[in-house]
Amino acid sequence: MQIQFELAKYNEELDTFDLDETLYQVEISEEDAQTYELLKSSDLNLYNWFIEADFFSKYIKEEVYPKGQHKKIAVCDINDISFRRFFFFKVTSGDSHYAYFKKLFNIFEESDWQDREEIGEQILEQLKSKRLELVRDLTEDEESESETEENTTVESDGKV
Amino acid sequence: MEKQYIDKMLLEMDKDLSKHGMSRRDALKLAGLSGAGLLMGTSTASAEEEKIVKTDAKGKIVIIGGGLAGVSTAARLTLKMSNPDITIIEPNPQSVSYQPGYTMIAAGLWEKDDIMYDTDEFLPEGVKLIPERAIYFNPQENQLTTDAGQVVSYDYLILATGVQLDFERIKGLEEAGRALSGGNNDKLMEALGDSICSIYTEQGSVKTWEIMQKYIEQAKSGKKTEFVFTHPDTPIKCGGAPKKIVYLTNARLKEAGARENAELTFYPNGGAMFGVPEYHDAIVGQFARENIKYHYRHNLIEVDKENKIAVFDAKWQEKGPWDPVMKDFEVIPKREKKRVPYDFLHIAPANIAPREIAESDLGSAAGWVPVNKETLQHIRYMNVFSIGDVAQLPMAKTGGSVRKQYKVLADNLIAHMNEKKLEGKYAGYTVCPLITDIGTVMLAEFDWTVKPTPSFPLDPTVERWIFWLMKAYALKPMTMYGMLSGRA
Repeated sequence: MQIQFELAKYNEELDTFDLDETLYQVEISEEDAQTYELLKSSDLNLYNWFIEADFFSKYIKEEVYPKGQHKKIAVCDINDISFRRFFFFKVTSGDSHYAYFKKLFNIFEESDWQDREEIGEQILEQLKSKRLELVRDLTEDEESESETEENTTVESDGKV
Repeated sequence: MEKQYIDKMLLEMDKDLSKHGMSRRDALKLAGLSGAGLLMGTSTASAEEEKIVKTDAKGKIVIIGGGLAGVSTAARLTLKMSNPDITIIEPNPQSVSYQPGYTMIAAGLWEKDDIMYDTDEFLPEGVKLIPERAIYFNPQENQLTTDAGQVVSYDYLILATGVQLDFERIKGLEEAGRALSGGNNDKLMEALGDSICSIYTEQGSVKTWEIMQKYIEQAKSGKKTEFVFTHPDTPIKCGGAPKKIVYLTNARLKEAGARENAELTFYPNGGAMFGVPEYHDAIVGQFARENIKYHYRHNLIEVDKENKIAVFDAKWQEKGPWDPVMKDFEVIPKREKKRVPYDFLHIAPANIAPREIAESDLGSAAGWVPVNKETLQHIRYMNVFSIGDVAQLPMAKTGGSVRKQYKVLADNLIAHMNEKKLEGKYAGYTVCPLITDIGTVMLAEFDWTVKPTPSFPLDPTVERWIFWLMKAYALKPMTMYGMLSGRA
C-alpha cells in the first residue's frame, strides 16, 4: 500500500511553518497498512503513529531531507486527511476549523457575548504549544545516530 | 400571555399553595427550605447534616465579598470546621439581598422589600464581619488593606467580590461611572434618565418597572413605541437576564392590550441566543412566536439621550478569498456604527472584575481571578481560592453556578489546610431559569459539555408553569435559607 503525504517545514526562529509543496509517496508494509486502516479515522492518533513510524523516518532520511539538512518538520496531509489547520490556522479561517478546535481544546463558547476574534485568539494561544508537539525534530534523529556510530567505533577500537 | 390565563394560572397557584396553608403573598415570605427542597429535589438539611464530618484544620480565613458566594462559603466552612476563624470583608450591609429577584421587580411582580435582606441576619455564627472594602492586595505577604486603612493578614484568602457594572464605557453615560448591583446607585439612576433602564441593580429594577409602565401606556394610547434591549461584549452575570426582561416586557404589553403598537428588538453582541444549541433553538422559536425581533453582533457603544438614539458597533462576516494552503475560503469580519432610535432602552451593562482585583497580582490580564476551573484554587497563590462571578471560569456567572461551587471550594480549602490532595471538582454545572412569560419558565441547565443536563425527567427546552412556580416560590427560600446556611 502507498501513502501520499505533504510536509511543512518549521522555522524555529520565526515560529512559523512553510508548506513544502511536494507530494510524497511512501510504500508501507502490510502490517503498517493494517495499522493505518485502524487509525485513519482517529485524527491525531494517526498523525502520531505516522510521524513516529520507522518507514517515515527512513523515507525522510533517504528521499526527502538527506543527512546534513537539519530540519524540523510537520505533516500537513496524510492521504486525504488534512492536519494543515494545526500549522496554518488564522483568525480569518473558516468556521469548520473553529468548530474543530473548540472541541479539541474544550473551549466553552458562551456565544451570547464572545466574538469570533476572541475565540480565534484563544485557539492560536492553545496552538502555540499543541503544534510543537506535532513537530518532528530530524536533528535529534541524526544526533542519536551519530552517538550510536561513535559508540560502535569505540567498541571496535577497544576490541582491536 | 393573556390576562385571563394569568388570572387562571394565579388561581391555580393559589389553590396549590393553599394546600400548604399559604397565600401567594405569604409564600414569598414564609416558604421554607423544605418546600424549596421538595421542588428542587434536594436532600433535607438534617440528612445533609448527618454526613458532615468536622475537621480540626486551623488558620485564618478571610473572605472578600459578603454576597451569596462569600456567605454561603463561610457558612459551609463553619459547618465543616471545629474551630473556624473566618472574617468577611464587605461594606454593603445588605449584600445578601436576592439578586435573581431583580427581573421580578422590573416586571412589577415583586417589590423591592421582597428581596432585601440584612447581611447581619445571615452571617454564620462566629464569623467576623469587617464593614469595609478591600482595596489593596499583597499576596506575597498574605496581607490586604481596606479603604479605612486597616491592614488585614490572612493564612487563606477567598475572593468572592462579584463584578462591577461598567456603564461609563458607553459614550453618553460616562457620568454613570461603575456601579455595583447593591448599595446606593443614585448617580447611575440620574445618568440613565427617564427612558433608559437596567435591571442589573436593585434601584434599577424598580426604575425599570416605572419606565416600562410609562411606555406601555404610550403604546396603549396608539403611538408606535420602540422597545430596545441590549447584551454587551463581556461575560455577564445571569446571561439570561437581558432576554428575561424582553419576555417580561412583552408579557406586560400583551396584558395591557398594547402589543400591536410596540416593536421589541433585542441586540445581542454575540452570534447566538444561548451557548447551548438546544436552548438557542428554543429561544429563537420563542422570539419568532412572540414576534420579537433580534439582530446579532450588535454592541452598545453610545447613547444620545437627547435624541433617543442608541449607537451600536455592528459586526458581520463576509466570505473572503480562497486560502490555497488551508484549501478553504477565509471569513472576513466587517463592522460599522448603527444608529437605532428608541423610546424605551434597557441596557445590560458590560461586567468587569473590580479594579482592585484586576490591578493586583491576583487578577489575570482580563481582570478575573485565574483559578483551576475544577478545584477553584488560584493558579499562582495556592492559599487563595475564588468563587462566583469574579472567578475566571469558562461558565455562566449565576447563583446556580455558585450553588455547585461553594461546597467544592470549602472541601478543597480544608484539604489544602490539612495538606491533602484537592479532591473536590466543580463540574461546570449552571442553571438559568429563563422566564419566557409571566407564568412560564424554561429551565436551562448545562455544564462543561455544553449539553442540556436536566435535573427533572422533562424536556428542558419546553417552557413550563411548574418551573415558574419554582422560580417564583422555591428558589428564593432555597437560596436564602438553604445556600446561605451552607446546606442546599
